[in-house]
Amino acid sequence: MKQNYMLRITGYTDKCSVTPGEDINFYVHSEFDEKYRMDIVRLINGDTNPEGPGFKEKVVRNSVNGEYKGVNQPLMSGSYILVPNDEKLDVDSLTVAAFIYPTTPIVDIEGAPVGEQAILSKWDAKKKTGYGLFINDSGELEFRLGRGRGKLSTFSSKKPLLRKVWYKVYASFDAESGQVVVGQIPYLTATNGGHGMSMLHPREDTESIRKYRAPPGISAGKNKCPLLMAASTLNTDSNRTLFGKHFNYLAEPLSIPEHTTKYNGKIERPRLSNEALSLDQIEILLNNQKFESLPTELRASLIGFWDFCENITVDASSTKITDCSPNNFHGVGVNLPVRGVIGHNWSSHFMSFKHGPQEYGAIHFHDESVDDARWTSSFKLKISDKMESGVYAARLRVKGLSSPDHEDYIPFFVKPPAGTTTARIALVMSTHSYMAYANDNLSVNSVIAELLTGQVPLLQPEDLLLNQERGYGLGTYTSYRDGWGVNISSRLRPILNMRPKYLHILSPSIWQFNADLHLVDWLHELGYSVDIYTDEDVHREGVSLLKKYPLVLTGHHPEYISEEQMDAYHDYQLQGGRWMYLAANGFYWVCVPHPDNPNIIEVRKGDNGTRAWTVTPGEYCNAFDGKHGGLWRVRGRVMSKLLGVTFTSFGLTYSSYYRRAPDSQLPECKWIFKGIGKNEPIGNFGLVGGGAAGLELDRYDLELGTPHNAYLLAHSEGHNDIFVSVTEESTFNARGYIPGGTGETNPWTRADIVYYKTPNDGAVFSVGSMSWCGSLQHNNYDNNVSKIMQNIIDGFLKEGPLP
Amino acid sequence: MKKKARSRGNNTALRDNYSLQAVDDYNVRTYLLKHLKDKKSREALIAEHREHPRGGPTLPGSPPPLQSAPLAQLVDMLRMVPQGGKHTIVETIPWKEYSIGVLPGRRGGNVKITREIYSSREDAEHAIFLKRLKALCLKYDIKM
Repeated sequence: MKQNYMLRITGYTDKCSVTPGEDINFYVHSEFDEKYRMDIVRLINGDTNPEGPGFKEKVVRNSVNGEYKGVNQPLMSGSYILVPNDEKLDVDSLTVAAFIYPTTPIVDIEGAPVGEQAILSKWDAKKKTGYGLFINDSGELEFRLGRGRGKLSTFSSKKPLLRKVWYKVYASFDAESGQVVVGQIPYLTATNGGHGMSMLHPREDTESIRKYRAPPGISAGKNKCPLLMAASTLNTDSNRTLFGKHFNYLAEPLSIPEHTTKYNGKIERPRLSNEALSLDQIEILLNNQKFESLPTELRASLIGFWDFCENITVDASSTKITDCSPNNFHGVGVNLPVRGVIGHNWSSHFMSFKHGPQEYGAIHFHDESVDDARWTSSFKLKISDKMESGVYAARLRVKGLSSPDHEDYIPFFVKPPAGTTTARIALVMSTHSYMAYANDNLSVNSVIAELLTGQVPLLQPEDLLLNQERGYGLGTYTSYRDGWGVNISSRLRPILNMRPKYLHILSPSIWQFNADLHLVDWLHELGYSVDIYTDEDVHREGVSLLKKYPLVLTGHHPEYISEEQMDAYHDYQLQGGRWMYLAANGFYWVCVPHPDNPNIIEVRKGDNGTRAWTVTPGEYCNAFDGKHGGLWRVRGRVMSKLLGVTFTSFGLTYSSYYRRAPDSQLPECKWIFKGIGKNEPIGNFGLVGGGAAGLELDRYDLELGTPHNAYLLAHSEGHNDIFVSVTEESTFNARGYIPGGTGETNPWTRADIVYYKTPNDGAVFSVGSMSWCGSLQHNNYDNNVSKIMQNIIDGFLKEGPLP
Repeated sequence: MKKKARSRGNNTALRDNYSLQAVDDYNVRTYLLKHLKDKKSREALIAEHREHPRGGPTLPGSPPPLQSAPLAQLVDMLRMVPQGGKHTIVETIPWKEYSIGVLPGRRGGNVKITREIYSSREDAEHAIFLKRLKALCLKYDIKM
């Protein structure tokens, strides 16, 4: 048995896409503190399959290449709110109250005990000093007071909290009398649980108000801890800070603690008073959303009165948490707790937090969230003028070894020098989609993955480290341990499935970044000069970037697209641009980069679409831009309006081939098939499932916006019965045909190759398959998929009207 | 499959997802058991699986290598085994060595890598099919 067989080294960068002259920082984690050799390499081909041309990389001579000392850099995952320490927060008597909606009160959805979880605490978990409202490991509300040195008391509700039920929770302590009151009162409406319970009987199973007398000598001891919501403090200083980007309102770097007792669930209207308030007063505190509406006698005792919908504007992207009390104890959301979620008073009359912010006053916390690993920089590279535009990586090798568990690559993309182009073709790498698929951990966590792929997952050292690290913050193809889908993905942490050599669970071989290297290699081998960009560049620069090139290519699965990108590709076509869409299921999900940090994206998978999870009712709108999330199709921008084809079927298994359609022989189209026989099957070979038509498939559909003058050049056939229909087209399921049918019965299961002309001599060529590029290298690059690609590229690069 | 007697209380049949399991059990008894009890048909299913453990590409002139209806139903059922303790494949030498692993079933745990090694992914896939089939047969008192 192999001991400790897992990836021993990994890392990430601070930037995704760079130009000569720019600096890029690398953050490296060495699992066993081992030293490593680092070399900057240019990546050409990432597929190690012995049936293909093999892995290709070139070492880039550079002064940063060399030996480095490795350091274990742990991840501090879990979202929480931090209110910096202040002596006013050290109180004698006190009341703490909030609405909560616990999602793992005892165990997670895998049945694993979650342990203690803090709701609101100024609590030193090592010295046991301060105060805090917790959920204990029996799922009961628990109030804690501690002075250290064993002087600790806990006061429990003695009743378990139920999952997905809203509660009013509170605790009060009178320092003079020693009286403690702890209460948890369920607050159910017909709608406020989303898909949670609305009927509770008997209430006594979970409702509780208990009074205690604290033992003599017990009080809330002062400490230097910050006040935290959804966590407590393990160490006051973690050597990590918040500053800039999505914390751009901070005047100076803010130290964060090492946090513990992380909470899963929602918190709303947290309140802190320096008096032991009566139950009536607590009711008033919780029932009033706005500080201004509180009775004057209550206001004086308030230390903190946080209103989570206070700074919801056109979006809910801010990490600033507003305290409406005169103390201004504003907080900071660390690891991006989810905003724009329904609160205890959600009526279903509003489907957007912009329309009814008063019903979206909750924040959802997850103990696995990560916005930024915040590791210490390991080395910095200045991009030299000699580095051509291309795909690069820092290659890390523990002890200089190239075995899979000792080696990792941290990819990055080099653009041409600022303000210039160095080629007539631009290739846009699908970095938003790489982030969306980040660290899915499906090999270990997903039952359905075996059904979708028709095979047992193959685990590599990356997968083994990933599971140990609880997904390194996960990605939008998985759920947090409380069952909520992961809607935020950051690239400021290792993305272990965005690597060369990596075999992906959702493919019989490779997928996403590594699969896109098939195209990079083919362009390189055939001598096509190409400038490399990323989704982030198109998002920022729009059509003005694309317009610099007569021809733009996208990769094998550009599925996650921002509104700015949609506009850019739309306008590019209208302005005479020529575009090759070499994919399927592209331009599908609404993806929103954080307005202050493009390294982080948000995706809300609505209640429509072929999806890994379904958003909670009422939470359809992205916190990052306030607009409806989910499918572009739902926003009137179905992909066929942009590409001529629409997502129709998927089978993450073996592939098939295409047959030419009559349009391919028309005078306007026959140049595309020059050198190819009339009855010749297209792409009956390849490194992704053995055929050019596979994984996911798109079809033309005039009703869904395929242009009326588009040409149908080819279609695939013979897909197997793992291929199923997309769910967004499910109306009535029926055996055999859409959408109940599978590949062997349903003629909607096919990839169509479509070509059409656009105004000003523009054009679009769409292949409708994710495995197309996997066939390019076959037979030493001499094959009919490769030939069609050459014909199209050469034809599209000619100036003037197309035939 | 033997049904456990259950008492009411917090641990209700509903919380145990009883009816889903009961219907799954019905499906095994109705559609699969006849193929599994009979040694000849069981071995025919095993032989069919060995031929295309992961499926295969569709080639012009031939239909895709589809599984027979009972094998497809059996394989789908075996793929739905819960994640904890489920067998998986760990690639221990790229393209050369495939070890059988056992999933921890939850995040944060470690995948156990056994000494069982195969030289192809297909052989490892088939070996796992046999292990899962054996476990299913045992549930229904069928000895393989």
